[in-house]
Amino acid sequence: MPTPATTERAAGRRSPTGAAPPPGGTRRKREFTTGRGLVIAAYLAPAAIFVAIFTYYPVIAGSQMAFRNWKLTDLTDTAWVGLQNFRDVFADPAWGRVLVNTVVWVVGSIVPQLVIGFALALWLRRKFRFRGLYQALIFFPWAVSGFLIGILFRWLFNSEFGAVNDLLQKAGLIDTPIPWLASPDTALTAVVIANIWYGVTFFAIMILAALQSIPDELYEAAALDGAGKARTLFQITIPFIRTTLVLTVLLRVIWTFNFPDLIFGMTGGGPNNQTHIVTTWMIQTTQQGDYGRASALGLLIVAGLLLFAIFFLLATRERREVKGVIGS
Amino acid sequence: MIGKETAAGRTTKFVFLGLWLLFTVFPLYWIAVTSIKAPGDVFAWPIAYWPETFSLENYRGLFDKADFGIYLANSLVISTLAAAAATVISMLSGYVLARFEFRTKSALLMAALVTQMIPAFIALGPLYLLMTDLNLVDNRFGLVLVYIAVCIPFCTVMLRGFFANIPEALEEAAMIDGLSRFGALFRVLLPVMRPGIVAAFIFNFVNCWNELFLSVTLMNSDANKTIPTALNGFISSFNIDWGSMSAAAVLTILPTMVLFAFASRHIVQGLTAGAVKG
Amino acid sequence: MRRTKAALALGVAAAMLLPACSAFSGGDSGTVTLTMVESLTNPSRTELLEGLIEDFEQQHPDIDVNLVSPPTEQADEKLQQMLMSGSGIDVLEVRDITVGPFSTNGWLHDMKADLESWDGWQAMTENAVDAAQDGQGRTFYVPYGFYGLSLFYRTDLVAQAGFSAPPTNWDELLQQAAAINDPAQRRYGYAFRGGKNANSNVTAAISAYVADRIDPANGFQLEDGTSIFAAPEAQQAVETYFQLFRTASAESSVSWGYPEMVEAFANGSTAFLLQDPEVIATVRESQAISQDQWTTAPLPTGPSGKTVQPLASAGWGVAASSSHKPEAVELVKFLAGGDAAAAFAKGNSLVPTQRAAGEDEFYKTGPWASYVTMTENPQTYLNITQPRGVAWWTEWEQKADADVQQVLLGTMTPAQLLAEWDAFWTQKWQQGK
Repeated sequence: MPTPATTERAAGRRSPTGAAPPPGGTRRKREFTTGRGLVIAAYLAPAAIFVAIFTYYPVIAGSQMAFRNWKLTDLTDTAWVGLQNFRDVFADPAWGRVLVNTVVWVVGSIVPQLVIGFALALWLRRKFRFRGLYQALIFFPWAVSGFLIGILFRWLFNSEFGAVNDLLQKAGLIDTPIPWLASPDTALTAVVIANIWYGVTFFAIMILAALQSIPDELYEAAALDGAGKARTLFQITIPFIRTTLVLTVLLRVIWTFNFPDLIFGMTGGGPNNQTHIVTTWMIQTTQQGDYGRASALGLLIVAGLLLFAIFFLLATRERREVKGVIGS
Repeated sequence: MIGKETAAGRTTKFVFLGLWLLFTVFPLYWIAVTSIKAPGDVFAWPIAYWPETFSLENYRGLFDKADFGIYLANSLVISTLAAAAATVISMLSGYVLARFEFRTKSALLMAALVTQMIPAFIALGPLYLLMTDLNLVDNRFGLVLVYIAVCIPFCTVMLRGFFANIPEALEEAAMIDGLSRFGALFRVLLPVMRPGIVAAFIFNFVNCWNELFLSVTLMNSDANKTIPTALNGFISSFNIDWGSMSAAAVLTILPTMVLFAFASRHIVQGLTAGAVKG
Repeated sequence: MRRTKAALALGVAAAMLLPACSAFSGGDSGTVTLTMVESLTNPSRTELLEGLIEDFEQQHPDIDVNLVSPPTEQADEKLQQMLMSGSGIDVLEVRDITVGPFSTNGWLHDMKADLESWDGWQAMTENAVDAAQDGQGRTFYVPYGFYGLSLFYRTDLVAQAGFSAPPTNWDELLQQAAAINDPAQRRYGYAFRGGKNANSNVTAAISAYVADRIDPANGFQLEDGTSIFAAPEAQQAVETYFQLFRTASAESSVSWGYPEMVEAFANGSTAFLLQDPEVIATVRESQAISQDQWTTAPLPTGPSGKTVQPLASAGWGVAASSSHKPEAVELVKFLAGGDAAAAFAKGNSLVPTQRAAGEDEFYKTGPWASYVTMTENPQTYLNITQPRGVAWWTEWEQKADADVQQVLLGTMTPAQLLAEWDAFWTQKWQQGK
């Protein structure tokens, strides 16, 4: 069975992170010269300066609020309160519900997105008539903003004049309209459906791109060995695009977690706070004027995602990636 | 997969593809139909899936009530400039991160990943103060700068993947021929990577085009508003004007949709070169 | 070839940006530029405001006004961000619920001294003059109008259901709304407020039931010092009120806020709506119902035949950080006094602040008549002040809204809701002492 590394070598490709560096690379790596350092610094400088000034500086300056009594209702006393804001977050009776919702939101969105995206990619790999047109039509949800998707699906799921209820009734699947966004049981399902609609595209694009880099010879060899479809899928396709899969899932989890726009546009976290995830909860806290607690939530989000990223990469045994992304 | 397709397999495939197409396109169809209904018909019962009377009233109202044309132009210019600049800057950083080994490299990659985890809210206040000090509040150029910073991390990681997959021999040959490293990057690698660069640009463009919170915070005057801010304004405290809102939504989606349609082949091709491969 | 084109495009784009950079770097000397921020933004109101500002600029050629109109949903945060930064804002919209926090943070300029000799005061109603002062006699904003409730109703639907007159009290409202309600036909009796700010209509109902004993200075308190939520009448009020939801409202109204309620009435599907006068303008624009199909009635009363009109106010104030305070105060005077104030209240359809409005035919006819009725009968429609300026007001609103939704979803009883609310306010008042 070919491992990803051997298949890549077989296909005459370099491994992206330099697992099989060409001879030239090794030489340059050992040799440290001021000139080389300058080249690196000069090429990285623009990116580093932009991100440092407009992203990292404001974030670091802003995170001090998390440790202060920073309430907009009274800013005359913004005393240092240590970890009090964090304790308040955990003590909030809604916190448990918010966490559960967040998990449902992320897992419920990502798993179907991955499965459908994968299927689409497999089917789109082979040319058929109008494939280009089809691709263009199904890829567009990625270009729609989260806020707009919220609006779009709020209109669709409108219980009185929405198309969803009307179509379900016409199909005879339901007798009376379902108050989709007004009932806690269905509201979370509705926002997850909207998110699936949006997110499948990214998986489909990424996986399709990765699939096209699998050399045909591998499949021919597998066919000669008499491998069936399932075996080919699990022994060639998936191992070969494993890195893409792992990193796409990781990115999507991070992005989905940090995607309050859609929920805000659709339900505003309601009814009765039943569709809040951590990031919408943070926005709600901001609206109450408690910037201290909202910042504490923000820092918890970063910490949580960071831990997740590390464990995820370790668990998927993408050592190479762990090395590449977070250092060994 | 590449093996032979059975008839049953083909049927399953096309049924699935067809269903998915319906699911994907229906919301857009529904909003488009809503937008061309006469304002009084939007809430007519029973629901009309095809408007009884066509009306462009909602669109006319949009351009009368608000300077939608200005917002479109702002969004177009700001997104194009920011996306282009971020792509160029990320090519430099992505190139170095793909070609060199150095001590701070993994820390830098980690820093890029962390930017994706930060909720925008934490940074909003200090960013506003910073932009005030720089005299860049309510300034389109200022928003471009901020958007460039927003796009760089993901774009860098993406382009790094492409560079890693291009044989080094290519630019080494060029350098032996007397080109500088910079020259080699732009004269030799660029043409090879064109689809990847197009893909990176489109991802950046879409991100900027849809950005709301930074735009609301940093822009004041009507002449500087972008589309998402204007769209948000339609959910005014008055009422949900579904007719105008649908028209605004269609106008917002259209440019990016056209861009995606034209570029979908480029995107896939470009990414095939090895996007997000680390 | 292609590269030239790309370079050209970038150049053109850059050229478009450059004027924007220079536009804000000053302007000619001698001219003062004021930045003014509104927060209850909507497109037609912004247009109205821009017209008034143009008049002001004509009268004051040395002052330019740059109006900032952020989308309503983000407006408060944006406003706070600007105020916190301590620069770039001169005139702003201040509401009764934001004046407390804003002044505590030292963001607002006390205009008391500036307006001492202002002749605009004489033209204003008593309510307006009162609203312009806080408890300590400071003036942080001059109101441009009031928001007060009246009952919007469909004359045709009420008649079809066999009623000869609109409801005058909450019981009749429930009865008529339930009779009209017919979900299968997408027809609903009452536009129930279950979402954002749901608490306000619950307290409106409760206030009506305890109108006899309410403390005029604190609308959440009875004359004996206990909270209105502990009164036995309150129990009756919430029973009736939530009955409206169960028997006369769309199921989805659990999450309805202002926009959905107004839409439900304006699109012709709902017969009754309890709302502010600004809705009059919106409904007039509706293409689904015509002018002769609807009007307004005064606020429903409680069993005693009285009810309570909690007037909410908003106005214009000056930022403490403004470096052009005299000019900023001029703008406030202009907008809050005389013709501009009358035009703004009328165009934006608000309860006016100018005495002269009482004589204006505009307010005596059609949907406005009920407001005149209410103003002319203060013994029936009591004017009381709700504690909207307290520091915990947003905390209260969010808690109260969540509780209302729990009742609607059946996870809390109305009695529990009243107990919660009573405990909340009693505790806050004790802490304050």
